[in-house]
Amino acid sequence: MEPITDGAMLSPWEPGVFSLVLFGLLVLAFIGFQLFIAHWVGERKESREKSRVYESGVIPTGTARLQFPVPFYMVAIFFLLFDVEGVFIFAWAVVFRDLGWTGWFQMVFFIIVLLVGLAYIWVKGGLDWRESHRPK
Amino acid sequence: MNSRLLDAGNAVINWARKHSLWPMFFGLSCCFVEEATALTSRYDMARFGAEVLRPSPRQADLLIVSGTVFKKIAPVVLRLYEQMPEPKWVISMGSCSNSGGMYDVYSVVQGVNQILPVDVYIPGCPPRPEAVLQGLVQLQEKIVSTEKPIRKIFHLGGGTQGTVAPLLAEGHSKTRDSRGTGYQGTPLRGSSVTPPQFYDNRSRLMWTPPASRIEWGKGDQSLAEALRERFPGLVHQAPHSSDMVTFNVHESGFRDVLFFLKHEAPGKYRRLDDLTALDESARRGTASFTMVYQLLSFDAPGRIRLKVALKGDGPVTKTITDLWPSANWYEREVFDMFGIRFDGHPNLQRILMPHGWKGHPLRKDHPGRATEMPPYTLDKAQEKQPLDAAEFLFPGGKKGAEGEPFILNIGPHHVSTHGLLRCMASLDGEEIRQLELDIGYHHRGVEKIGERQTWHQFIPYTDRVDYLAGAANNLSYVLAVEKLADIEVPERAQVIRVLLSELFRLSNHLVYFATFAHDVGAMSPNFYTFAEREMILDVVELITGGRLHPSWFRLGGVAADLPDGWKEAVEAFVKIFPGRLKEYENLITKNPIFQARTEGIGPLSLEDAMDWGVTGPNLRACGLEWDLRKKFPYSGYENFQFDVPTANGGDCYARYLVRVEEMRQSLRIVEQAVANMPSGRYVTDDYRYAVPARKDMLTAIESLIHHFINVTRGPRIPRGEAYAATEVPRGEQGYYVVSEGLGHAYRMRIRGPGFANVQALPLMARGESVADLIAIFGSLDYILPDIDR
Repeated sequence: MEPITDGAMLSPWEPGVFSLVLFGLLVLAFIGFQLFIAHWVGERKESREKSRVYESGVIPTGTARLQFPVPFYMVAIFFLLFDVEGVFIFAWAVVFRDLGWTGWFQMVFFIIVLLVGLAYIWVKGGLDWRESHRPK
Repeated sequence: MNSRLLDAGNAVINWARKHSLWPMFFGLSCCFVEEATALTSRYDMARFGAEVLRPSPRQADLLIVSGTVFKKIAPVVLRLYEQMPEPKWVISMGSCSNSGGMYDVYSVVQGVNQILPVDVYIPGCPPRPEAVLQGLVQLQEKIVSTEKPIRKIFHLGGGTQGTVAPLLAEGHSKTRDSRGTGYQGTPLRGSSVTPPQFYDNRSRLMWTPPASRIEWGKGDQSLAEALRERFPGLVHQAPHSSDMVTFNVHESGFRDVLFFLKHEAPGKYRRLDDLTALDESARRGTASFTMVYQLLSFDAPGRIRLKVALKGDGPVTKTITDLWPSANWYEREVFDMFGIRFDGHPNLQRILMPHGWKGHPLRKDHPGRATEMPPYTLDKAQEKQPLDAAEFLFPGGKKGAEGEPFILNIGPHHVSTHGLLRCMASLDGEEIRQLELDIGYHHRGVEKIGERQTWHQFIPYTDRVDYLAGAANNLSYVLAVEKLADIEVPERAQVIRVLLSELFRLSNHLVYFATFAHDVGAMSPNFYTFAEREMILDVVELITGGRLHPSWFRLGGVAADLPDGWKEAVEAFVKIFPGRLKEYENLITKNPIFQARTEGIGPLSLEDAMDWGVTGPNLRACGLEWDLRKKFPYSGYENFQFDVPTANGGDCYARYLVRVEEMRQSLRIVEQAVANMPSGRYVTDDYRYAVPARKDMLTAIESLIHHFINVTRGPRIPRGEAYAATEVPRGEQGYYVVSEGLGHAYRMRIRGPGFANVQALPLMARGESVADLIAIFGSLDYILPDIDR
């Protein structure tokens, strides 16, 4: 790939950033049009009942913004941890051939450590978000 | 040009809308079963673009009001309609929704068109699935031929779309009088012979033999002796009983007597079978109310009834919730219906009627008909909201130590509650900490109706008490009346009754199988099992002419003899069914996902099941072999060979296994009924009570007279009382009929199996997750009309 020179940057004749900008603008316009149509077209009737939360047909009790139970947070954190670690594996896959067997063994070690971590969480009951079902 | 463009736009939009109506998954009662059947393979509603029912109003544009609109649920119906986006359409399905139908009773709105606009009315009780499809087609035609949506869509002013029919108002555009307009001031025919008046009742002039009398066995005599010795002066043997051992107990010591019977008496009476009351005010006697406690012994199968007389207009008695936890709901019901208070009851508030209801419906002075009360209008539906969930979970505002709990309503309108049941859960994350139930959204006042319809007229109401069990419901009722009046039922009629009851058990369990599997995530069984269910309903239709509600049994027999070709039809079903059942079992029974979702979930111990009065397959899943067909054989069940399947653990999986095996046993009974169908009469020749066979009515003057009496003022059933219970698919359904010797019952008590089974639901659900709660719902197999009646 040839680096783009300053002069060609905004030139309509050179393939480069201009087409990207144009593409971006078109996408924005399209999305804007769709949002506008969805908002404007169609009959709209506001009423107190319609804007109320739907909860099996009765008026809900209390608010949805309350203290969140910790187990939900734990599960979310575990997901994030393992997800981010997955990113390393993807990066390794790209340079798989360059790193050779050394890289392979290092990665296997890395995955084993992850699995041990997962097993630990599992045994400790970190994946069970029901208080009473968690091993004591 | 402009108008031509608009016309073209209208045509395109209407065409698109016509073929993509999305109904809401919303059902009120029996009609919804037929609406849901319209989705299944034989009727295939998807052909009309009304593809998948949407569980939330936000995603739906068609509200099919299928079933009875109760005053307690009407605010919810209105809210669901309001929460649907524009444009929206409304179809009113079935007589109840159209006009109140056969339920002209205090708890039912006489036509949903008083609170919602309605485009299409589907007649029928219930309409067949084909009728649902026709209703849909009519709505499509209405959309195409009358609506001009484009002006509305582009805000051009004018245009029409959606259902815009005006609400109907009593006296202007609507009359609730089923006789039509112009009858104001003329009382309904029959109102002078029903409570509280009775003055014009000609049944009194007729003579009938006295009520049947049972001889007490040795065990009963020794029990009576033991009670007399233990409680001198408190317990008096009832002079006459037609069904079971009955004692009148003085109010001061009835709790001790109940304690004695539960814990010490020979053949311990472990179960509180039923608890109810009678308003004696329209009767000759000294008491104003009578409490009726009925107990059951598992050891030596037997029942006992205690009657406790109460005095005064607002009587107070003591609670027995400490003896039987199941008394909780029963006593609340008595409080709600009769205004009797119970000292020491943990939570004495209304259970069936909406809070703020005035009066107690089963008192004789409370109006029975909705048409005797002011019409139910839009402002009432906006105002009379169901009570807030926190009031149930934390009465008095006690929220517990852990800060603000998360409260979730599951129902009354929810796909998984299988009807109008409202669960309120206090959650800790996914875990259910506390669960309370609010019932009564399906209260059709059928016990009150039983006091005004003649003994024959009441039969169609019994079908609708458990709308998936059809004719099996008739049986409990006719057995009770037959027991009281000592009516002999010919053998052939008995076997026909057994045949139909078992067919309905199969049909019910097939629905159970499909819906339970659906509840835990398996969609396919719905489409399979409904095919066999249709085969059963075809047989039922061939024999009775009806589908869901055949109303086929009569006092003393059945309505008509079996038609030509019944045998071949039943045999064809019997032949294919075992193979199909095996196929379905292969899909589900060993399915690891199904097992993971049900094994060990929602367990109920046998102790609890007995204490809480749990009956039917749910009791057998706890390991007890208890089936009324074996323990108190009726209608000739003793002549059939079948086993009583049980399972261990009382969890969702056990409840499933029991029902699957029950299908096999039911099939065995059906086979035997077909093979050994006796010849002879299909209805008794004792025409004093039975509606005479047509042939006799046309040829013999005596029969003609009986026919005339029995279909007009109704037969006179002798003064007395009787209880009969049968094993319907969901458990033990009992009718306690009290007669004053008139053409209709003085008190019609129905013991629904669901009432006790569902009361025990919080026991199973506490500590489980919300997803498990749905599995427990599915496994319990309850149905709302027999809980709320």
